[in-house]
Amino acid sequence: MPQRLYRSFQALLLLALFLFLMGKVFNNQLLWYINQRFVILTQIGIVFLAILAQRLFTEVRLARERNQVEEHDHDHDHAPSPVNLWIMLIPLLIGILIPAKPLDSAAVSAKGLTTSSALISSNSNSRLFETESEQRNILDWVKLFYFEKDLNPFIGQKASVVGFVYRDESLSEGQFFVSRFILSCCAADGYAVGIIVNAPQADTFEKDTWIKVTGSVDVVSFDGKPSPLIRAETIEIVPQPDQPYLYP
Amino acid sequence: MTSTTASRRASRTVIWLILLFVLIIVLASIVPSSLFLNLVSRLNLFATVFLGIFIEAMPYLLFGTLISGLVEAFLDRDLMARFISKRPVPAAITGALMGLVFPVCECGVIPLTRRLFHKGLPLPAGIAFLLAAPVFNPIVIFSTSAAFGWGPMLWWRVGLSLLIAIIVGLVFAVEQDPSNVLRPILLSVHDHEHTHNETLSFGDKLQQALLICADEFFEMGRYLILGAMLAAGLQTFIPQTSLLAIGSGQIFSVLVMLALAIILSICSTVDAFVALSFVGTFSFGSILSFLVFGPMVDIKSTLMYLQVFHRKPVAYLILIPFLMSLLAGMAFNYFAP
Repeated sequence: MPQRLYRSFQALLLLALFLFLMGKVFNNQLLWYINQRFVILTQIGIVFLAILAQRLFTEVRLARERNQVEEHDHDHDHAPSPVNLWIMLIPLLIGILIPAKPLDSAAVSAKGLTTSSALISSNSNSRLFETESEQRNILDWVKLFYFEKDLNPFIGQKASVVGFVYRDESLSEGQFFVSRFILSCCAADGYAVGIIVNAPQADTFEKDTWIKVTGSVDVVSFDGKPSPLIRAETIEIVPQPDQPYLYP
Repeated sequence: MTSTTASRRASRTVIWLILLFVLIIVLASIVPSSLFLNLVSRLNLFATVFLGIFIEAMPYLLFGTLISGLVEAFLDRDLMARFISKRPVPAAITGALMGLVFPVCECGVIPLTRRLFHKGLPLPAGIAFLLAAPVFNPIVIFSTSAAFGWGPMLWWRVGLSLLIAIIVGLVFAVEQDPSNVLRPILLSVHDHEHTHNETLSFGDKLQQALLICADEFFEMGRYLILGAMLAAGLQTFIPQTSLLAIGSGQIFSVLVMLALAIILSICSTVDAFVALSFVGTFSFGSILSFLVFGPMVDIKSTLMYLQVFHRKPVAYLILIPFLMSLLAGMAFNYFAP
Protein backbone atom coordinates (compact mmCIF):
# COMPACT_ATOMS: atom_id res chain seq x y z
CA MET A 1 0.00 0.00 0.00
CA PRO A 2 1.44 3.40 -0.91
CA GLN A 3 2.56 5.37 2.11
CA ARG A 4 0.30 8.33 1.39
CA LEU A 5 -2.80 6.14 1.13
CA TYR A 6 -1.80 4.36 4.34
CA ARG A 7 -1.45 7.71 6.11
CA SER A 8 -4.86 8.84 4.86
CA PHE A 9 -6.50 5.70 6.22
CA GLN A 10 -4.64 6.08 9.50
CA ALA A 11 -5.96 9.61 9.82
CA LEU A 12 -9.50 8.57 8.96
CA LEU A 13 -9.45 5.70 11.46
CA LEU A 14 -8.15 7.92 14.24
CA LEU A 15 -10.82 10.45 13.41
CA ALA A 16 -13.49 7.74 13.46
CA LEU A 17 -12.19 6.43 16.77
CA PHE A 18 -12.22 9.97 18.12
CA LEU A 19 -15.84 10.49 17.04
CA PHE A 20 -16.94 7.09 18.34
CA LEU A 21 -15.40 7.71 21.76
CA MET A 22 -16.70 11.27 21.86
CA GLY A 23 -20.14 9.78 21.34
CA LYS A 24 -19.55 7.57 24.37
CA VAL A 25 -18.49 10.62 26.37
CA PHE A 26 -21.63 12.57 25.50
CA ASN A 27 -23.93 9.59 26.06
CA ASN A 28 -22.36 9.16 29.47
CA GLN A 29 -21.48 5.64 28.41
CA LEU A 30 -17.78 5.70 29.26
CA LEU A 31 -18.85 4.73 32.77
CA TRP A 32 -20.19 1.46 31.38
CA TYR A 33 -16.67 0.44 30.50
CA ILE A 34 -14.22 1.98 32.95
CA ASN A 35 -13.92 3.15 36.52
CA GLN A 36 -14.89 6.76 37.00
CA ARG A 37 -11.43 7.88 37.94
CA PHE A 38 -10.00 6.91 34.55
CA VAL A 39 -12.54 9.01 32.70
CA ILE A 40 -10.36 12.13 32.74
CA LEU A 41 -7.38 10.18 31.48
CA THR A 42 -9.47 8.64 28.72
CA GLN A 43 -10.82 12.03 27.72
CA ILE A 44 -7.28 13.34 27.39
CA GLY A 45 -6.49 10.29 25.28
CA ILE A 46 -9.51 10.96 23.09
CA VAL A 47 -8.44 14.55 22.46
CA PHE A 48 -4.96 13.30 21.67
CA LEU A 49 -6.44 10.97 19.05
CA ALA A 50 -7.81 14.05 17.30
CA ILE A 51 -4.41 15.75 17.48
CA LEU A 52 -2.77 12.72 15.92
CA ALA A 53 -5.42 12.57 13.20
CA GLN A 54 -4.80 16.22 12.42
CA ARG A 55 -1.05 15.59 12.29
CA LEU A 56 -1.56 12.72 9.85
CA PHE A 57 -3.86 14.78 7.62
CA THR A 58 -1.16 17.46 7.50
CA GLU A 59 1.42 14.84 6.63
CA VAL A 60 -0.73 13.57 3.76
CA ARG A 61 -1.10 17.11 2.42
CA LEU A 62 2.62 17.81 2.73
CA ALA A 63 3.48 14.54 1.03
CA ARG A 64 1.22 15.44 -1.87
CA GLU A 65 2.88 18.82 -2.25
CA ARG A 66 6.31 17.27 -1.98
CA ASN A 67 5.52 14.81 -4.71
CA GLN A 68 4.26 17.54 -7.02
CA VAL A 69 7.48 19.47 -6.59
CA GLU A 70 9.92 16.60 -6.79
CA GLU A 71 7.93 14.43 -9.17
CA HIS A 72 9.40 11.59 -7.30
CA ASP A 73 7.63 9.10 -5.11
CA HIS A 74 8.92 8.12 -1.71
CA ASP A 75 6.33 5.42 -1.44
CA HIS A 76 8.51 2.56 -2.57
CA ASP A 77 10.63 1.96 0.51
CA HIS A 78 8.40 1.51 3.51
CA ALA A 79 4.82 0.84 2.79
CA PRO A 80 3.50 -0.43 6.14
CA SER A 81 1.29 -3.43 6.52
CA PRO A 82 -2.39 -2.65 5.91
CA VAL A 83 -3.26 -5.27 8.54
CA ASN A 84 -2.68 -2.54 11.15
CA LEU A 85 -5.54 -0.61 9.62
CA TRP A 86 -7.93 -3.54 9.46
CA ILE A 87 -7.37 -4.36 13.10
CA MET A 88 -7.89 -0.78 14.21
CA LEU A 89 -11.31 -1.13 12.61
CA ILE A 90 -12.27 -3.91 15.06
CA PRO A 91 -13.08 -1.75 18.10
CA LEU A 92 -15.17 0.50 15.90
CA LEU A 93 -17.08 -2.44 14.45
CA ILE A 94 -17.63 -4.08 17.82
CA GLY A 95 -18.66 -0.77 19.33
CA ILE A 96 -21.11 0.05 16.59
CA LEU A 97 -22.54 -3.35 15.63
CA ILE A 98 -23.04 -4.84 19.09
CA PRO A 99 -25.53 -2.83 21.14
CA ALA A 100 -23.84 -1.20 24.12
CA LYS A 101 -24.84 -2.55 27.50
CA PRO A 102 -23.29 -2.38 30.94
CA LEU A 103 -22.39 -5.63 32.72
CA ASP A 104 -25.59 -7.46 33.68
CA SER A 105 -26.94 -10.85 34.78
CA ALA A 106 -25.18 -12.66 31.96
CA ALA A 107 -21.92 -11.20 33.24
CA VAL A 108 -22.73 -12.34 36.76
CA SER A 109 -22.99 -15.93 35.62
CA ALA A 110 -19.63 -15.64 33.89
CA LYS A 111 -17.82 -13.73 36.58
CA GLY A 112 -19.44 -14.86 39.80
CA LEU A 113 -21.09 -13.06 42.66
CA THR A 114 -20.07 -12.57 46.23
CA THR A 115 -22.19 -11.78 49.23
CA SER A 116 -19.37 -11.17 51.65
CA SER A 117 -15.94 -9.99 50.67
CA ALA A 118 -13.10 -7.67 51.56
CA LEU A 119 -12.89 -5.82 48.24
CA ILE A 120 -10.92 -3.07 49.93
CA SER A 121 -8.22 -2.72 52.50
CA SER A 122 -9.56 -2.92 56.03
CA ASN A 123 -8.01 0.33 57.20
CA SER A 124 -10.34 2.54 55.18
CA ASN A 125 -13.38 0.80 56.52
CA SER A 126 -14.23 2.37 59.86
CA ARG A 127 -16.33 5.10 58.25
CA LEU A 128 -18.89 2.50 57.27
CA PHE A 129 -20.09 1.87 60.79
CA GLU A 130 -21.03 5.45 61.30
CA THR A 131 -23.10 5.90 58.15
CA GLU A 132 -26.85 5.70 58.45
CA SER A 133 -27.99 2.19 57.60
CA GLU A 134 -30.25 3.50 54.87
CA GLN A 135 -27.36 5.35 53.23
CA ARG A 136 -25.29 2.20 52.75
CA ASN A 137 -25.15 0.79 49.27
CA ILE A 138 -24.86 -2.88 48.37
CA LEU A 139 -21.07 -2.81 48.49
CA ASP A 140 -21.08 -1.22 51.94
CA TRP A 141 -23.30 -3.98 53.32
CA VAL A 142 -21.19 -6.68 51.73
CA LYS A 143 -18.04 -5.20 53.23
CA LEU A 144 -19.62 -4.76 56.63
CA PHE A 145 -20.69 -8.38 56.76
CA TYR A 146 -17.18 -9.43 55.85
CA PHE A 147 -15.34 -7.36 58.42
CA GLU A 148 -17.71 -7.39 61.37
CA LYS A 149 -17.39 -10.33 63.73
CA ASP A 150 -20.61 -9.59 65.58
CA LEU A 151 -23.47 -9.16 63.14
CA ASN A 152 -26.27 -8.98 65.70
CA PRO A 153 -26.41 -5.16 65.81
CA PHE A 154 -27.29 -5.13 62.11
CA ILE A 155 -30.27 -7.41 62.37
CA GLY A 156 -33.46 -5.39 61.98
CA GLN A 157 -31.66 -2.30 60.65
CA LYS A 158 -33.39 -0.55 57.79
CA ALA A 159 -31.74 -0.88 54.38
CA SER A 160 -32.47 0.84 51.11
CA VAL A 161 -30.36 -0.18 48.15
CA VAL A 162 -30.42 0.17 44.38
CA GLY A 163 -29.29 -2.61 42.07
CA PHE A 164 -30.38 -4.94 39.31
CA VAL A 165 -32.24 -8.23 39.70
CA TYR A 166 -30.10 -11.32 39.43
CA ARG A 167 -31.66 -14.78 39.73
CA ASP A 168 -29.57 -17.63 41.00
CA GLU A 169 -30.61 -21.27 41.12
CA SER A 170 -29.13 -21.70 44.56
CA LEU A 171 -31.72 -19.37 46.06
CA SER A 172 -35.06 -20.61 47.27
CA GLU A 173 -38.41 -19.47 45.91
CA GLY A 174 -39.43 -15.94 46.72
CA GLN A 175 -35.80 -14.81 46.69
CA PHE A 176 -33.47 -13.10 44.27
CA PHE A 177 -30.31 -11.04 44.41
CA VAL A 178 -30.21 -7.31 44.17
CA SER A 179 -26.81 -6.89 42.64
CA ARG A 180 -24.22 -4.35 41.51
CA PHE A 181 -20.94 -4.72 39.68
CA ILE A 182 -17.76 -3.47 41.31
CA LEU A 183 -15.20 -2.02 38.95
CA SER A 184 -11.61 -1.40 39.95
CA CYS A 185 -10.33 -0.59 36.54
CA CYS A 186 -12.44 -1.60 33.59
CA ALA A 187 -15.23 -4.02 32.71
CA ALA A 188 -12.64 -6.79 32.48
CA ASP A 189 -12.22 -6.92 36.24
CA GLY A 190 -15.87 -6.30 37.07
CA TYR A 191 -17.06 -8.35 39.98
CA ALA A 192 -20.63 -8.68 41.18
CA VAL A 193 -21.75 -8.22 44.76
CA GLY A 194 -25.28 -8.93 45.82
CA ILE A 195 -27.71 -9.02 48.69
CA ILE A 196 -30.40 -11.67 48.90
CA VAL A 197 -33.88 -10.15 48.78
CA ASN A 198 -36.81 -11.92 50.37
CA ALA A 199 -40.07 -10.76 48.82
CA PRO A 200 -43.42 -12.43 48.26
CA GLN A 201 -43.69 -10.78 44.86
CA ALA A 202 -40.12 -11.89 43.92
CA ASP A 203 -41.19 -13.65 40.73
CA THR A 204 -42.75 -10.57 39.20
CA PHE A 205 -39.39 -8.90 38.55
CA GLU A 206 -37.55 -9.69 35.35
CA LYS A 207 -33.82 -10.26 35.63
CA ASP A 208 -31.72 -7.14 34.99
CA THR A 209 -34.54 -4.86 36.07
CA TRP A 210 -33.16 -1.97 38.11
CA ILE A 211 -34.93 -1.73 41.44
CA LYS A 212 -34.79 0.04 44.75
CA VAL A 213 -35.33 -2.35 47.62
CA THR A 214 -36.31 -1.09 51.06
CA GLY A 215 -36.70 -3.35 54.04
CA SER A 216 -35.12 -4.74 57.16
CA VAL A 217 -31.81 -6.55 57.30
CA ASP A 218 -31.29 -10.10 58.45
CA VAL A 219 -28.37 -12.54 58.45
CA VAL A 220 -28.32 -15.74 56.42
CA SER A 221 -25.61 -18.15 55.51
CA PHE A 222 -24.77 -18.23 51.81
CA ASP A 223 -21.90 -20.32 50.47
CA GLY A 224 -20.93 -20.91 54.07
CA LYS A 225 -20.47 -17.22 54.74
CA PRO A 226 -22.72 -15.04 56.87
CA SER A 227 -24.42 -12.76 54.38
CA PRO A 228 -26.93 -9.95 54.47
CA LEU A 229 -30.54 -10.50 53.47
CA ILE A 230 -33.22 -7.86 53.04
CA ARG A 231 -36.81 -8.64 53.96
CA ALA A 232 -38.37 -6.33 51.42
CA GLU A 233 -41.14 -3.99 52.43
CA THR A 234 -41.23 -2.08 49.18
CA ILE A 235 -39.59 -2.73 45.83
CA GLU A 236 -39.87 -0.03 43.20
CA ILE A 237 -38.59 -0.12 39.66
CA VAL A 238 -36.07 2.65 38.98
CA PRO A 239 -34.24 3.72 35.83
CA GLN A 240 -30.71 2.41 35.36
CA PRO A 241 -28.38 4.80 37.19
CA ASP A 242 -25.98 6.92 35.13
CA GLN A 243 -23.22 5.22 36.99
CA PRO A 244 -24.18 1.55 36.89
CA TYR A 245 -21.18 0.30 38.85
CA LEU A 246 -19.82 0.85 42.33
CA TYR A 247 -16.15 1.46 43.01
CA PRO A 248 -14.17 -0.15 45.77
CA MET B 1 9.86 -3.35 4.53
CA THR B 2 9.21 -5.58 1.57
CA SER B 3 5.83 -6.71 0.44
CA THR B 4 6.66 -10.37 1.13
CA THR B 5 7.20 -9.76 4.84
CA ALA B 6 4.07 -7.64 4.81
CA SER B 7 2.00 -10.43 3.41
CA ARG B 8 3.65 -12.94 5.71
CA ARG B 9 2.76 -10.82 8.69
CA ALA B 10 -0.71 -10.32 7.33
CA SER B 11 -1.25 -14.03 6.99
CA ARG B 12 0.10 -14.59 10.47
CA THR B 13 -2.46 -12.16 11.81
CA VAL B 14 -5.18 -13.95 9.93
CA ILE B 15 -3.99 -17.21 11.50
CA TRP B 16 -4.23 -15.58 14.92
CA LEU B 17 -7.78 -14.55 14.22
CA ILE B 18 -8.69 -18.03 13.05
CA LEU B 19 -7.08 -19.53 16.17
CA LEU B 20 -9.10 -17.14 18.28
CA PHE B 21 -12.26 -18.17 16.51
CA VAL B 22 -11.48 -21.88 16.88
CA LEU B 23 -10.67 -21.36 20.53
CA ILE B 24 -14.01 -19.70 21.14
CA ILE B 25 -15.86 -22.48 19.29
CA VAL B 26 -14.02 -25.17 21.28
CA LEU B 27 -14.68 -23.43 24.55
CA ALA B 28 -18.29 -22.91 23.60
CA SER B 29 -18.70 -26.62 23.01
CA ILE B 30 -17.13 -27.48 26.38
CA VAL B 31 -19.31 -25.26 28.53
CA PRO B 32 -22.99 -26.09 29.14
CA SER B 33 -25.51 -25.80 26.36
CA SER B 34 -27.60 -23.23 28.20
CA LEU B 35 -24.94 -20.88 26.92
CA PHE B 36 -26.28 -20.91 23.40
CA LEU B 37 -29.66 -19.73 24.59
CA ASN B 38 -28.13 -16.50 25.72
CA LEU B 39 -25.50 -16.15 23.06
CA VAL B 40 -26.65 -12.62 22.46
CA SER B 41 -26.07 -11.60 26.05
CA ARG B 42 -22.68 -13.32 25.86
CA LEU B 43 -21.91 -11.21 22.84
CA ASN B 44 -22.87 -8.13 24.82
CA LEU B 45 -20.60 -9.21 27.64
CA PHE B 46 -17.79 -9.81 25.18
CA ALA B 47 -18.24 -6.35 23.67
CA THR B 48 -18.36 -4.64 27.06
CA VAL B 49 -15.26 -6.40 28.38
CA PHE B 50 -13.38 -5.85 25.14
CA LEU B 51 -14.20 -2.15 24.96
CA GLY B 52 -13.46 -1.90 28.67
CA ILE B 53 -9.91 -3.12 28.19
CA PHE B 54 -9.44 -1.12 25.01
CA ILE B 55 -10.77 2.18 26.33
CA GLU B 56 -8.89 1.83 29.60
CA ALA B 57 -5.58 0.94 27.94
CA MET B 58 -5.83 3.39 25.04
CA PRO B 59 -4.55 6.50 26.87
CA TYR B 60 -1.70 4.53 28.45
CA LEU B 61 -0.66 3.15 25.10
CA LEU B 62 -0.84 6.63 23.56
CA PHE B 63 1.29 7.96 26.40
CA GLY B 64 3.87 5.23 25.86
CA THR B 65 4.05 5.77 22.12
CA LEU B 66 4.22 9.54 22.61
CA ILE B 67 7.21 9.19 24.93
CA SER B 68 8.69 6.77 22.44
CA GLY B 69 8.27 9.35 19.70
CA LEU B 70 9.81 12.07 21.86
CA VAL B 71 12.75 9.80 22.69
CA GLU B 72 13.31 9.14 19.01
CA ALA B 73 13.17 12.80 18.12
CA PHE B 74 14.96 14.38 21.04
CA LEU B 75 17.15 11.85 22.86
CA ASP B 76 20.74 11.80 21.77
CA ARG B 77 22.52 8.48 21.33
CA ASP B 78 25.66 9.83 23.01
CA LEU B 79 23.70 10.99 26.03
CA MET B 80 22.30 7.51 26.47
CA ALA B 81 25.74 5.93 26.18
CA ARG B 82 27.09 8.29 28.81
CA PHE B 83 24.40 7.44 31.36
CA ILE B 84 24.07 3.72 30.92
CA SER B 85 26.96 1.39 31.38
CA LYS B 86 27.74 -1.32 28.87
CA ARG B 87 28.66 -3.77 31.64
CA PRO B 88 25.75 -6.15 32.28
CA VAL B 89 25.19 -5.82 36.03
CA PRO B 90 25.15 -2.01 36.26
CA ALA B 91 23.17 -1.88 33.02
CA ALA B 92 20.51 -4.28 34.31
CA ILE B 93 20.23 -2.41 37.60
CA THR B 94 19.98 0.96 35.88
CA GLY B 95 17.40 -0.44 33.50
CA ALA B 96 15.28 -1.82 36.33
CA LEU B 97 15.29 1.57 38.05
CA MET B 98 14.52 3.59 34.91
CA GLY B 99 10.79 3.32 35.53
CA LEU B 100 11.15 6.25 37.89
CA VAL B 101 12.14 8.42 34.93
CA PHE B 102 9.64 6.95 32.44
CA PRO B 103 6.40 6.29 34.33
CA VAL B 104 4.80 3.90 31.85
CA CYS B 105 2.69 0.81 32.39
CA GLU B 106 2.87 -2.46 30.54
CA CYS B 107 1.25 -1.24 27.34
CA GLY B 108 3.40 1.83 27.03
CA VAL B 109 6.66 0.25 28.09
CA ILE B 110 6.94 -2.02 25.07
CA PRO B 111 7.13 0.56 22.27
CA LEU B 112 9.29 2.74 24.50
CA THR B 113 11.74 -0.07 25.21
CA ARG B 114 12.03 -0.83 21.54
CA ARG B 115 12.75 2.79 20.82
CA LEU B 116 15.39 2.90 23.53
CA PHE B 117 17.02 -0.19 22.03
CA HIS B 118 17.01 1.63 18.74
CA LYS B 119 18.88 4.45 20.47
CA GLY B 120 21.55 2.07 21.64
CA LEU B 121 20.31 0.95 25.06
CA PRO B 122 22.19 -2.23 26.07
CA LEU B 123 20.10 -5.41 26.07
CA PRO B 124 20.26 -6.19 29.82
CA ALA B 125 19.16 -2.66 30.65
CA GLY B 126 16.28 -2.74 28.18
CA ILE B 127 15.00 -6.12 29.32
CA ALA B 128 15.21 -5.14 32.98
CA PHE B 129 13.40 -1.90 32.16
CA LEU B 130 10.72 -3.74 30.22
CA LEU B 131 9.93 -6.05 33.12
CA ALA B 132 10.42 -3.70 36.06
CA ALA B 133 9.00 -0.40 34.82
CA PRO B 134 5.33 -1.46 34.91
CA VAL B 135 5.71 -1.94 38.68
CA PHE B 136 8.62 0.25 39.68
CA ASN B 137 7.17 3.62 38.78
CA PRO B 138 5.51 6.27 40.92
CA ILE B 139 1.97 5.72 39.63
CA VAL B 140 1.91 2.00 40.30
CA ILE B 141 3.68 2.24 43.65
CA PHE B 142 1.11 4.79 44.69
CA SER B 143 -1.87 2.73 43.56
CA THR B 144 -0.50 -0.37 45.25
CA SER B 145 -0.06 1.51 48.48
CA ALA B 146 -3.58 2.89 48.13
CA ALA B 147 -4.88 -0.66 47.93
CA PHE B 148 -2.66 -2.49 50.39
CA GLY B 149 -1.10 0.28 52.45
CA TRP B 150 2.62 0.84 52.94
CA GLY B 151 3.10 -2.73 54.04
CA PRO B 152 4.73 -6.01 53.13
CA MET B 153 2.61 -6.48 49.99
CA LEU B 154 4.03 -3.31 48.46
CA TRP B 155 7.64 -3.95 49.47
CA TRP B 156 7.61 -7.55 48.32
CA ARG B 157 5.93 -6.60 45.08
CA VAL B 158 8.49 -3.95 44.22
CA GLY B 159 11.42 -5.99 45.52
CA LEU B 160 10.52 -9.18 43.69
CA SER B 161 9.72 -7.33 40.46
CA LEU B 162 13.09 -5.59 40.50
CA LEU B 163 14.86 -8.85 41.33
CA ILE B 164 13.18 -10.82 38.55
CA ALA B 165 13.72 -7.97 36.07
CA ILE B 166 17.44 -7.76 36.88
CA ILE B 167 17.90 -11.53 36.69
CA VAL B 168 16.15 -11.79 33.32
CA GLY B 169 18.16 -8.78 32.15
CA LEU B 170 21.36 -10.58 33.08
CA VAL B 171 20.21 -13.73 31.30
CA PHE B 172 19.94 -11.64 28.17
CA ALA B 173 23.45 -10.25 28.76
CA VAL B 174 24.94 -13.45 27.35
CA GLU B 175 23.57 -12.46 23.96
CA GLN B 176 26.11 -10.17 22.36
CA ASP B 177 24.26 -9.35 19.18
CA PRO B 178 20.96 -7.52 19.79
CA SER B 179 19.71 -8.42 16.33
CA ASN B 180 19.42 -12.04 17.48
CA VAL B 181 16.88 -10.89 20.02
CA LEU B 182 15.17 -7.90 18.48
CA ARG B 183 13.14 -7.61 15.37
CA PRO B 184 14.07 -4.61 13.26
CA ILE B 185 11.80 -1.58 13.59
CA LEU B 186 9.70 -1.94 10.51
CA LEU B 187 8.22 1.48 10.40
CA SER B 188 10.95 3.92 11.27
CA VAL B 189 9.59 7.16 10.03
CA HIS B 190 11.61 9.03 7.45
CA ASP B 191 14.95 7.60 8.40
CA HIS B 192 16.22 8.53 4.98
CA GLU B 193 14.90 12.06 5.06
CA HIS B 194 15.94 13.08 8.52
CA THR B 195 19.39 11.61 8.82
CA HIS B 196 20.69 14.92 10.12
CA ASN B 197 18.42 15.00 13.10
CA GLU B 198 20.31 17.73 14.91
CA THR B 199 19.62 20.23 12.15
CA LEU B 200 15.86 20.00 12.69
CA SER B 201 14.09 22.72 14.60
CA PHE B 202 12.22 21.99 17.81
CA GLY B 203 8.88 22.20 16.03
CA ASP B 204 9.97 19.79 13.33
CA LYS B 205 11.16 17.32 15.91
CA LEU B 206 7.83 17.57 17.69
CA GLN B 207 6.01 16.93 14.42
CA GLN B 208 8.22 13.92 13.82
CA ALA B 209 7.53 12.63 17.35
CA LEU B 210 3.77 12.86 16.74
CA LEU B 211 4.07 10.93 13.51
CA ILE B 212 6.06 8.17 15.22
CA CYS B 213 3.49 8.17 17.99
CA ALA B 214 0.67 7.64 15.50
CA ASP B 215 2.52 4.87 13.69
CA GLU B 216 3.33 3.04 16.87
CA PHE B 217 -0.19 3.44 18.13
CA PHE B 218 -1.35 1.51 15.09
CA GLU B 219 1.44 -1.01 15.27
CA MET B 220 1.09 -1.75 18.99
CA GLY B 221 -2.63 -1.03 19.14
CA ARG B 222 -3.13 -3.95 16.84
CA TYR B 223 -1.77 -6.28 19.52
CA LEU B 224 -3.67 -4.50 22.22
CA ILE B 225 -6.86 -5.10 20.24
CA LEU B 226 -6.15 -8.74 19.48
CA GLY B 227 -5.11 -9.31 23.09
CA ALA B 228 -8.21 -7.60 24.42
CA MET B 229 -10.36 -9.74 22.12
CA LEU B 230 -8.69 -12.89 23.36
CA ALA B 231 -9.01 -11.84 26.99
CA ALA B 232 -12.65 -10.84 26.54
CA GLY B 233 -13.36 -14.11 24.73
CA LEU B 234 -11.79 -16.16 27.52
CA GLN B 235 -13.67 -14.21 30.16
CA THR B 236 -16.94 -14.61 28.34
CA PHE B 237 -16.69 -18.34 27.85
CA ILE B 238 -14.71 -19.58 30.85
CA PRO B 239 -16.62 -18.73 34.00
CA GLN B 240 -14.22 -17.12 36.42
CA THR B 241 -16.03 -18.90 39.22
CA SER B 242 -14.83 -22.26 37.98
CA LEU B 243 -11.27 -20.99 38.00
CA LEU B 244 -11.62 -19.66 41.51
CA ALA B 245 -13.20 -22.92 42.64
CA ILE B 246 -10.05 -24.90 41.92
CA GLY B 247 -7.93 -22.22 43.51
CA SER B 248 -7.07 -23.89 46.77
CA GLY B 249 -3.90 -25.59 47.90
CA GLN B 250 -0.38 -24.25 48.20
CA ILE B 251 0.54 -24.67 44.55
CA PHE B 252 -2.81 -24.52 42.79
CA SER B 253 -3.78 -21.22 44.35
CA VAL B 254 -0.64 -19.62 42.93
CA LEU B 255 -1.19 -21.21 39.53
CA VAL B 256 -4.77 -19.94 39.45
CA MET B 257 -3.69 -16.41 40.29
CA LEU B 258 -1.00 -16.54 37.61
CA ALA B 259 -3.59 -17.76 35.11
CA LEU B 260 -5.90 -14.94 36.16
CA ALA B 261 -3.09 -12.43 35.68
CA ILE B 262 -2.73 -13.63 32.10
CA ILE B 263 -6.44 -13.79 31.32
CA LEU B 264 -7.56 -10.56 32.95
CA SER B 265 -4.92 -8.53 31.08
CA ILE B 266 -5.45 -5.50 33.26
CA CYS B 267 -3.15 -2.54 33.45
CA SER B 268 -0.50 -2.59 36.15
CA THR B 269 -1.58 0.84 37.34
CA VAL B 270 -4.79 -0.62 38.73
CA ASP B 271 -4.21 -4.33 39.23
CA ALA B 272 -3.65 -3.82 42.95
CA PHE B 273 -7.32 -2.93 43.37
CA VAL B 274 -8.31 -6.02 41.46
CA ALA B 275 -6.00 -8.14 43.60
CA LEU B 276 -7.72 -6.71 46.63
CA SER B 277 -10.93 -8.46 45.69
CA PHE B 278 -9.13 -11.78 46.12
CA VAL B 279 -7.99 -11.09 49.66
CA GLY B 280 -9.78 -13.59 51.85
CA THR B 281 -10.17 -16.07 49.02
CA PHE B 282 -6.49 -16.33 48.24
CA SER B 283 -3.31 -16.42 50.29
CA PHE B 284 -0.76 -13.62 50.52
CA GLY B 285 1.68 -15.57 48.37
CA SER B 286 -0.81 -16.17 45.56
CA ILE B 287 -1.86 -12.54 45.43
CA LEU B 288 1.75 -11.41 45.52
CA SER B 289 2.58 -13.65 42.57
CA PHE B 290 -0.40 -12.14 40.71
CA LEU B 291 0.93 -8.64 41.38
CA VAL B 292 4.47 -9.50 40.34
CA PHE B 293 3.70 -11.58 37.28
CA GLY B 294 0.69 -9.73 35.88
CA PRO B 295 2.57 -6.57 34.87
CA MET B 296 5.25 -8.62 33.15
CA VAL B 297 3.14 -11.04 31.17
CA ASP B 298 -0.45 -11.14 30.01
CA ILE B 299 -2.24 -11.81 26.77
CA LYS B 300 -1.90 -8.39 25.23
CA SER B 301 1.69 -7.80 26.30
CA THR B 302 2.71 -11.21 24.98
CA LEU B 303 1.32 -10.31 21.58
CA MET B 304 3.17 -7.00 21.74
CA TYR B 305 6.41 -8.74 22.77
CA LEU B 306 6.16 -10.84 19.64
CA GLN B 307 6.20 -7.67 17.61
CA VAL B 308 9.43 -6.48 19.22
CA PHE B 309 11.38 -9.68 19.92
CA HIS B 310 12.03 -12.93 18.13
CA ARG B 311 10.11 -15.92 19.35
CA LYS B 312 12.78 -17.52 21.52
CA PRO B 313 13.47 -14.40 23.59
CA VAL B 314 9.73 -14.01 24.13
CA ALA B 315 9.67 -17.54 25.54
CA TYR B 316 12.38 -16.53 28.02
CA LEU B 317 10.56 -13.31 28.85
CA ILE B 318 7.48 -15.32 29.78
CA LEU B 319 8.93 -18.47 31.31
CA ILE B 320 11.53 -17.02 33.67
CA PRO B 321 9.16 -14.52 35.32
CA PHE B 322 6.49 -17.23 35.43
CA LEU B 323 8.69 -19.74 37.21
CA MET B 324 10.12 -17.16 39.58
CA SER B 325 6.69 -15.75 40.48
CA LEU B 326 5.43 -19.29 41.00
CA LEU B 327 8.37 -20.12 43.26
CA ALA B 328 7.96 -16.92 45.21
CA GLY B 329 4.23 -17.48 45.67
CA MET B 330 4.77 -21.06 46.79
CA ALA B 331 7.56 -20.06 49.14
CA PHE B 332 5.21 -17.61 50.83
CA ASN B 333 2.44 -20.18 51.00
CA TYR B 334 4.71 -22.72 52.69
CA PHE B 335 6.80 -20.55 54.95
CA ALA B 336 4.61 -17.56 55.73
CA PRO B 337 1.02 -18.67 55.32
